[in-house]
Amino acid sequence: MDKYYLYPATLFASDVSYEVTTVLGSCVAVCLWDNVKQIGGINHYMLPLWNGQGLATPKYGNIATEKLLQRMLELGCSKSNITAKIFGGGEIIDTQISSFNIGERNIQMAKETLAELNIPIVGLSVGGKLGRKIIYFTESGKVLHKFIEKTLGNS
Amino acid sequence: MINDSTLISELERRFNDNKKVIAELEELTEQLKAVNKKLEESESLKSYFISNIRNEIINPFTSILNLSKQISSMSDIEKAKKSADLIYGEAFFLDFQLKNIFAAAELEAGETYPQIYSVNVVSTVQNLLDSYQSSIASKKLDIVISSSVANDFTFKSDPGKLTLIYSNLLNNAILFSKEGGKIEITLSFEYESMVFTIKDFGIGIEQDKVKLIFDRFKRLDNTINTLSSGYGLGLSVTKAITDMLNGTISVESEVGNGATFTVMIPDVHMDIEATGTAIDENGMLF
Repeated sequence: MDKYYLYPATLFASDVSYEVTTVLGSCVAVCLWDNVKQIGGINHYMLPLWNGQGLATPKYGNIATEKLLQRMLELGCSKSNITAKIFGGGEIIDTQISSFNIGERNIQMAKETLAELNIPIVGLSVGGKLGRKIIYFTESGKVLHKFIEKTLGNS
Repeated sequence: MINDSTLISELERRFNDNKKVIAELEELTEQLKAVNKKLEESESLKSYFISNIRNEIINPFTSILNLSKQISSMSDIEKAKKSADLIYGEAFFLDFQLKNIFAAAELEAGETYPQIYSVNVVSTVQNLLDSYQSSIASKKLDIVISSSVANDFTFKSDPGKLTLIYSNLLNNAILFSKEGGKIEITLSFEYESMVFTIKDFGIGIEQDKVKLIFDRFKRLDNTINTLSSGYGLGLSVTKAITDMLNGTISVESEVGNGATFTVMIPDVHMDIEATGTAIDENGMLF
């Protein structure tokens, strides 16, 4: 199985089997999976909302989830077959992002965006004081999840 | 049995509730109006952006086409050389703009990520200056480099992205310098980060506009009639790439006194996948 390391502010979707690893602090990753086509995609965003300044990158929750869905649809997925899992959003003291309650707001944004898109959430591990390392298997839609002590403030 | 006073107080309560609802509604309408206005603004900025991009691509292309057509019928070799220089300048600029446009598209698609190698920063900057030699010479600019790092110093980062950051800042510094002006570049390695500053002595940026310059569709002065985007797409690309490399970018400026940009890019000194240690033996499956 091919492996992929997902960096913050990026996203990944593939119709072949991939093992995608990412490390989350206050960031949130949304994993989308089409159970019919067995295609999976994942994003990793740092802030909840794009405020219209700078580039509209998947660094922002609202952009990241919509772009991920778009990528899945381009790969031939149907929206009605897609389900979501949400991870991350811990209360990590992060030198990169100084805003208050960023983890909680990231989680909220994932839930709101998915509700708007009518995508059901079938699994989640969010909040808390710890970081997370997740490995997403794009073909099965399964996620292997470990709590970690964050040592770097990159996400 | 309801007496008059209970009835009146109940009616009053309902009226008050109603008032509250109306007040809330008014507030929401105001918010909606504000969002609407922002949307309209961004629409008009977008079309400005598209026409800007079109100018930035089509104008240089037209020059290149015309100049190269002329060259083929020139007998004077010196004249032909001049035209070739002009073609080079236009093509160089076009190449630079296209790099920014593609970088912006890749960043927005979430498809680009850091590719970490050892970077020799002194030679990176030197190569960059060499590639800008003709525009530096044509504006008779004096470039002063002071470096506190050794010539063979390397640190771990993404060389391609770093080059794009530096070239955008250099491009702006050249663009906004007056003829015969000076550009100062300093290089140092502090707190595990590569620090690059570039100072020009050009027109500068107004204080209240300094924070807008990394904005995607903003160019501070729409009336500047040059082929260049100036503080346009390039700086928002620069900012987004700097973020991706976990760096910071800041600017200090005074109108008429030029601008100083400072970029700090941290050394990637450990395997990014090992940024945490597992605290439980067994993972959970979701």
